[in-house]
Amino acid sequence: MFKELDPILHSQLRLAVMSLLIGVKEAEFTFLKEKTGSTAGNLSVQIQKLKDAGYIEVIKQFKDNYPQTICKITQQGIQAFEQYVNNLQSYLGK
Amino acid sequence: MDANKPLTEKESLDLITSMLNKAKQSYHDSGIGPIMWGSVITFCSLITWARFKFGFDIPFDIWLLTLLAIIPQVFISIRENRAKKARTYNDIAMDYTWLAFGISIFLLIHANTGISKGFEKGFGDYFKSSGFRFYDYTTSLFLIIYGIPTFISGGIMKFKPMIFGGVLCWVCSITAVYTPPLTDLLLMAASAFFAWFVPGLIIRKHYLKLRQQGNV
Repeated sequence: MFKELDPILHSQLRLAVMSLLIGVKEAEFTFLKEKTGSTAGNLSVQIQKLKDAGYIEVIKQFKDNYPQTICKITQQGIQAFEQYVNNLQSYLGK
Repeated sequence: MDANKPLTEKESLDLITSMLNKAKQSYHDSGIGPIMWGSVITFCSLITWARFKFGFDIPFDIWLLTLLAIIPQVFISIRENRAKKARTYNDIAMDYTWLAFGISIFLLIHANTGISKGFEKGFGDYFKSSGFRFYDYTTSLFLIIYGIPTFISGGIMKFKPMIFGGVLCWVCSITAVYTPPLTDLLLMAASAFFAWFVPGLIIRKHYLKLRQQGNV
């Protein structure tokens, strides 16, 4: 019996963001934009979806008088990511 | 990258692997810290060695330069941390390792000062005749501590020159137990040069290359 893949994570850009955030403690929005090669608008929307799901924490602050957005994966996000990878492995092992 | 593009299981796994690698590669050391500390400690050791060897004196304690070097180090650390777009787990491990090193060195100097007062009271004539201070006999202890963060940093960065540098510090520490203080100063200089200065130059070269390619 195959487990259903989390629809929040089973999207190219959101999965890329989560995979980046699982490897670092925290990352700036510009870092995620640069590494995923996405547009700022698209990335903002997907980050909001991940935030609404409780998978990431978004901190907005100022750095040298410029707005700065920092993203961090939450404990709930880590669990969801691990579950997603486990479910993926069950598909690939078929 | 498209948010709504349907992914196959294989594509998902490949994407995860690729992004994890990108995150891992986002740790970059500029090499300025090891170059600066490597040169300061090598310089201070060699000047102290030359002072005893050739019998000249300077109006201040050359090791005060290490205190002065803390000022640019603080500025460098703040600037580098501000420039980082992501804080990796390696960054955190390195910060704590070198902070522990700084505290340990400070505590060792403090302990040395306390112990030396008692020793110099008891063996005052010996210290006066040799010209060396109690400090100069404890190079071995300093080299043990130099080796720890160097070895750990080399391991974290998977950077062999620093791993070998850490081992060199410990080899020099063992040697320094059996050699006179004058030779210990050369061992200290060699340790700082090969454990920090040389690896620092290699790291710097790599960092500048990455920066030229726009990867930093």
